[in-house]
Amino acid sequence: MDDTKQRGGRFWGLKVADIIAVCLVLAAAAGTMIVLSGSRSSARGGLALIEVNGRVVNRIVLGDDAKKTTYKVKGRNGESVIEVQGGKVHMLESACRDKICIGMGWVDRAGQAVVCLPNRVVIRITGSQHGSKVDTVTE
Amino acid sequence: MRDTRRVTYLALLVSVGLVLSIIESTFPPLLPLPGAKLGLANIATVIALYMFGPWMALEVTVLRSLLAGILRGSVIGLFLSFSGALVSTLVMIVLYVVFKKKMSVIGVSTIGAATHNVVQLLAAFLLIQHVALFYYMPYLLLISIPTGLFVGFASRRVVVSLEGLSLEAV
Repeated sequence: MDDTKQRGGRFWGLKVADIIAVCLVLAAAAGTMIVLSGSRSSARGGLALIEVNGRVVNRIVLGDDAKKTTYKVKGRNGESVIEVQGGKVHMLESACRDKICIGMGWVDRAGQAVVCLPNRVVIRITGSQHGSKVDTVTE
Repeated sequence: MRDTRRVTYLALLVSVGLVLSIIESTFPPLLPLPGAKLGLANIATVIALYMFGPWMALEVTVLRSLLAGILRGSVIGLFLSFSGALVSTLVMIVLYVVFKKKMSVIGVSTIGAATHNVVQLLAAFLLIQHVALFYYMPYLLLISIPTGLFVGFASRRVVVSLEGLSLEAV
């Protein structure tokens, strides 16, 4: 209990180890964020996989098409609307309570994902289009 | 006499933890994140750790999370909060014992909050088996900093005020 006595004096009675502890948690958050968002160098575009309950229900080729396209999928609680524009994809509407997935914003790089756990809908971007070596696909 | 005191303080801390978790459950969600809670109930554990030692902290945690789970009536919720609370208490105890002189209650409770969130996510992964769950990890770690700090400062306030309270008869 002796460590609680020295309030005041120093910054809110914090010790060096406390600040290290906070920094460790920050570093862990940043580390997981970097791992999960894929490396920055990864190429834009690719293939967006829409998964419901872990099963791929739709594959969208991400071109540079500036036209907005929406896709609707049925999740556990209801409909999720996914919008694709200019090689980027985001969750437009979702039948979940918290709308975290909508808040995750646009993703366009391989390894990134938009996740809606309540509705079990995941948009995942994979780098290659069926592993083909071509740079672009014209349709 | 000592045992009676001990049981009384234990019961007191468990009920404080229970009431705090009930109060907290009436709050609107802090952030739109699953598991992003203030963790008010953890205050009871931290107080127990700093005033009565590791064993009391463990007892308070186990009893409090079991009772809270039963009161809430959700087996899944019980499993999630129990696993998170148990592991985070064990981690806090280790930090408390090993870094007693170096780290204050603030750092201990911050790491405790982070552990709680991480373990709860891992437990949720066991249930849901969905890799997508891990995308919540950075957000849960980030939110554990302010909540852990809050719990730490609140607990320290209480511990400082109640200094001198002991298990021995006065």
